[in-house]
Amino acid sequence: MTDKLIYLWPEVTLFITTCLVMVLGLSPQAEVRRLCAWVSAVGLTVAAGLAANGEPDPNALLPNIMPFAKVVIAAVGLLLLMLLAGTVDREYEADIESGKTKFNPLRSNRAEFYSFFLFSLTGLMLCASAESLIWLFLALELTSLPTYIMVIISTRGAKSQEAGVKYFFLGALGAAFFLFGFSLIFGGTGATHFDDIADSIAANGINPILTLGLLISMIGLSFKIAAVPMHFYTADVYQGAASPVSAMLAFVPKTAGFIAIITICAAVGWNYGPNHTSLPEGLRLVLWITAALTMTVGNMLALRQRSVKRILAYSSIAHSGYMLVGVIAGPGPVGGSFTSNGLAAVLFYLLCYGFMNVGTFAVLASLKHADGSEADDIDDIRGLCSTHPLLGWSMVLCALSLLGMPPLLGFVGKLGLFTSAISAGEYAIVIVLGLNSAIAAVYYLRLIVTPYLDKPAEQDVLRVEKVGIITRPMVAVISAASVIGLVLVAQPLIEASSRAGVATRHGDVHAVEQAAALRDDINEPRP
Amino acid sequence: MLDLAPIAMTLAADSPAAVASAPAWVMLIPAMPMIGVVLCTLMSIMGVRSKLPAFVTVACLAVSFLLTVFMFTGHSEGWATAVGWEWLHYSWGDGNGQNFTANFAFAVDGLTILWMLFVTGLATLIALYASEYMATDVGQGYNRFFIAFNLFVFSMACLVMGSNLLMLYLGWEGVGLCSYLLIGYYYKKPEAVAAAKKAFIVNRIGDVGLALGVYLAFVHFGTIEYTELFASEKLQGYLHDAAEGHWSHIPWQASAIPLFLMVGAFGKSAQLPLYVWLPDAMEGPTPVSALIHAATMVTAGVYLIARTYPLFQVSEIALPIVAWVGTLTALLAATIGMAQFDIKRIMAYSTVSQLGYMFAGLGVMTSVGAGFHVLTHAFFKALLFLACGAVMHGFAGQLDLRKLSGLWKVPGWRIVTIGMFVGCLNLAGFPLTAGFFSKDMILAEAFVTPGFALIGWILLFTAGLTAYYTFRVFFRVFVGPVEYHAGDDHHGDDHAHDDSHGDDHDAGHGFHPHAPGWAINFVLATLAVCSIVAAGLYFIGDHGWVAGMIHDSTAHIDPHGDEAGGSHGSAALFGLDPHKAMYYISSVVGIVGIIFAYAFHLHGRKSAGEAPAADAFKAALGPIPRWAENKWYVDELYQFLFRGPLLVLSHIFRYVDMLLVDGLVNLMGWLPYAVGGRLRRGQDGVLQSYAASMAGGLALFLLVILLLVNQSA
Repeated sequence: MTDKLIYLWPEVTLFITTCLVMVLGLSPQAEVRRLCAWVSAVGLTVAAGLAANGEPDPNALLPNIMPFAKVVIAAVGLLLLMLLAGTVDREYEADIESGKTKFNPLRSNRAEFYSFFLFSLTGLMLCASAESLIWLFLALELTSLPTYIMVIISTRGAKSQEAGVKYFFLGALGAAFFLFGFSLIFGGTGATHFDDIADSIAANGINPILTLGLLISMIGLSFKIAAVPMHFYTADVYQGAASPVSAMLAFVPKTAGFIAIITICAAVGWNYGPNHTSLPEGLRLVLWITAALTMTVGNMLALRQRSVKRILAYSSIAHSGYMLVGVIAGPGPVGGSFTSNGLAAVLFYLLCYGFMNVGTFAVLASLKHADGSEADDIDDIRGLCSTHPLLGWSMVLCALSLLGMPPLLGFVGKLGLFTSAISAGEYAIVIVLGLNSAIAAVYYLRLIVTPYLDKPAEQDVLRVEKVGIITRPMVAVISAASVIGLVLVAQPLIEASSRAGVATRHGDVHAVEQAAALRDDINEPRP
Repeated sequence: MLDLAPIAMTLAADSPAAVASAPAWVMLIPAMPMIGVVLCTLMSIMGVRSKLPAFVTVACLAVSFLLTVFMFTGHSEGWATAVGWEWLHYSWGDGNGQNFTANFAFAVDGLTILWMLFVTGLATLIALYASEYMATDVGQGYNRFFIAFNLFVFSMACLVMGSNLLMLYLGWEGVGLCSYLLIGYYYKKPEAVAAAKKAFIVNRIGDVGLALGVYLAFVHFGTIEYTELFASEKLQGYLHDAAEGHWSHIPWQASAIPLFLMVGAFGKSAQLPLYVWLPDAMEGPTPVSALIHAATMVTAGVYLIARTYPLFQVSEIALPIVAWVGTLTALLAATIGMAQFDIKRIMAYSTVSQLGYMFAGLGVMTSVGAGFHVLTHAFFKALLFLACGAVMHGFAGQLDLRKLSGLWKVPGWRIVTIGMFVGCLNLAGFPLTAGFFSKDMILAEAFVTPGFALIGWILLFTAGLTAYYTFRVFFRVFVGPVEYHAGDDHHGDDHAHDDSHGDDHDAGHGFHPHAPGWAINFVLATLAVCSIVAAGLYFIGDHGWVAGMIHDSTAHIDPHGDEAGGSHGSAALFGLDPHKAMYYISSVVGIVGIIFAYAFHLHGRKSAGEAPAADAFKAALGPIPRWAENKWYVDELYQFLFRGPLLVLSHIFRYVDMLLVDGLVNLMGWLPYAVGGRLRRGQDGVLQSYAASMAGGLALFLLVILLLVNQSA
């Protein structure tokens, strides 16, 4: 256990920050309370730095996933933090300022809000470090539990409370499913450590209990990534929560789910099928069907929505389907490059998705109606390019990127998914993916055309205006800039994700050699 | 087919293969205009309402030009590359064509330097000219103009300096975009918008060709980096085969590449059949016409072919096609130019025609001649356009040569007239001007190259036509009796009246031409001097300075045999070496053209509108001049052949789309919606239904998958 500790410094940092923020947020002095966001930012930055300098774990099934995933988590986490800042307690703090009320720690939500956000990110990083089923389960729940509360406290209205309660109960059900699946995996192999599970599978093959356990785990985990058949909650919850929290929900649990799915698949290994490069048939089928249904259902449901948040919720479902294609494709041949490594494609896509999705939500979060309610209807972004050019163009760019338009970031991400699936011989799912990308264009183009081409709404209808929180439009602009800018520096990112996507395979001579070589690399001092 | 085999074609085999690294500051050459874009954008955001953006632009471009000069002086032979950053590197195997690298990198050789020198130099001068020319628009329009102007220079620099075909493509699209933006600068004018659209769409056709060519080059040769591509053994092998005449040894893919690239070049450089956009592009502000649509962007096609000359040499038919297309374009455009009345349009057709010469030059294997003509043409055509622009600026948009006459004698128009005269002499190929030498190189080479004599004769005839229409403009507008009528551009009109002579109506039409200011005069004078001095380049070095630059690049061809000695027995003209004979023949042709123009348009002309001799001659020719004036009805032909059928097709597709595709999409959208609606009604926001669906989904999934797995097992 202690030898594992060297990989966990980012988590430790975040945890310490969390505790600090929780205390600071309850301070009677307003100035100290305001420090919460800053301290969180510092904590995240330090964690990102530690993660970037983190060492690969040569004994793990996915030796390089930790540094990459944690840096991505911290980077997108910083963006989310900027977006989340100022979501809770705005009016309450204003009241205290004007002397209307006094500070009451029981009434204030600030401490919880920031610390739960950091807790969630801590859980997410722990998912990437997980080495056993139990660890993975606890990490997943640490990721999810705070988000339930964040949904509830994100607005003062009843809608978010309803959404939060729904999310909590359904989340518990999903957790029950994959916990049941985990226990069956344990039943089938007699092990909880991924290493031992892999060894057991290599030695004894796959038995029916294990298959059942894997299937149920995958279906249960599809709750986290909002995939069919566990996607029902998505639109309701995203719409009920405040936009910044919705943005977080679309990234944090999804990333946790994907990391968990990749980890479990890596324990089973892509050693089956005719070329010994795919997952066992049952596991491959469940992912295949889930992927195909998820992207299709997500895109179909998004077509006729009027609420931008619901469109984005369904788009988030569809994107989970896209990314599952990369998991099906697997890590590809040993020593292969980005274009044949599906895991690298998924990890890279998570990064892309983080930026472009946060960007779209940030645009929504930056707008409100005159009566203070959130902007959500498609009419609210009508003509945004002429009324609020920066926000409008951010929306256009992020939506174009979500659509996968070359040369934006989303295109580079999607390219990896396509090429890896093709090189793995999964042509059918590639066709489904292609068709769905085309269908998705219908509703993404609405998000592009409405702000860009349409005239702004007339004066007499409820006009949208900018919210008074400067960080939110900043997040929108940063995301939009990243959608272009990261393409220009795509090469190092692609290389990093290709490294992160390397899976060592038990019973595979090459992989053992590769792992040994990797270990040598690590032991040698860097030039 | 034409036999090119005797002409030895080798490249790069004997040029130094080692790639030197260029100093990092060469990247500042494209970066400076980009900084200009940023600064002008900032000024636009801040709402600057002064000439500041123009002077910032001039400063940025001047720095860029100076750096280019340093690049020139510091350059030694061969390639020098500067890598900005590694952009994308994809590989899906180790084989040929399975590694795709696109670097944001710049490669410098003689060709690059030649192009960059005149691109940045002219851009600086024309930006200065535009600072005055666009002055009536100071404010947002002015800022917008200079943003696009800078962006154009940046794109052009990427196009010319890029180290691979993808960078070239990037720049290619960039200049296309800027051209579109600037043609449509007066976006309230329907003609300008239509012209911008036309330019953009016609260029798309060419760009498809270019994209396919680049793609095919990558697939076939496995790289699009110039330094690797032109040194690749495969290409060298083909070149060897081509030199030996073994055309059948070259796979069709390799010989198809130039055919695709050529389409791109024809689109951008306004050659048959894609030339139709360029004359209409004159709707843009005149500095734009001068810089983009005369001097620089339209020579991108010439650059492309010169840059990928080795690729063109591995196809038996590519260069002959280029030669013929260029020749026919030159002739056709010249005939149209003869019958036009709008002086800017005449210059536009003349540009198309002169570009035809450059293509013909490339086609008959004188990349040196083509390159030299590009350079001289850039100067004198920019000069001509800017002089026309000064007229347009001063006479409230008047461009009809029947409504202007004798500007020489109007006060303040001396420099413009002199500039115009110098430009006309060059364009007409008057002996000992720069245009004369560069045109002669192409003409002589056409006679020298076996099988291309007919091209030589056509080009020679066209040279006569060129001299005629050029001096038609000069004799009508700048000399003769003084007479002028204002155009209908009231914008300029108001400006003219600012000179506090508003009550002076003695001229009968109450209009005072607005003589050009210092910036316009300075630029015109500078360009006139450059045009004259450019002739001197012909006498530097072995076969001229340009030859030195071209020989140090991919456009280099081994001169066949002994060029200076003219040992080609087969290619004699009236028993003389064509290189020598051409000086005399083309002098005579040019002067004859000028004499015709004098006889028709100056001799005995009493007013601006009527030239008795020309009108009589026109009447004698019957309907032909009218056909020429209507541009041989090519636009109408295209309308009939392409636009009409496409319109019908688009209507058909619209209905297919509306009924079938929309129907399907709506159905597919409606189905889940309806299902979802039913579900929603059933659950009414109640949590249990979601949970039940989840559990049911789980059960269903398990059932299906276990059945499938068992079946397959």
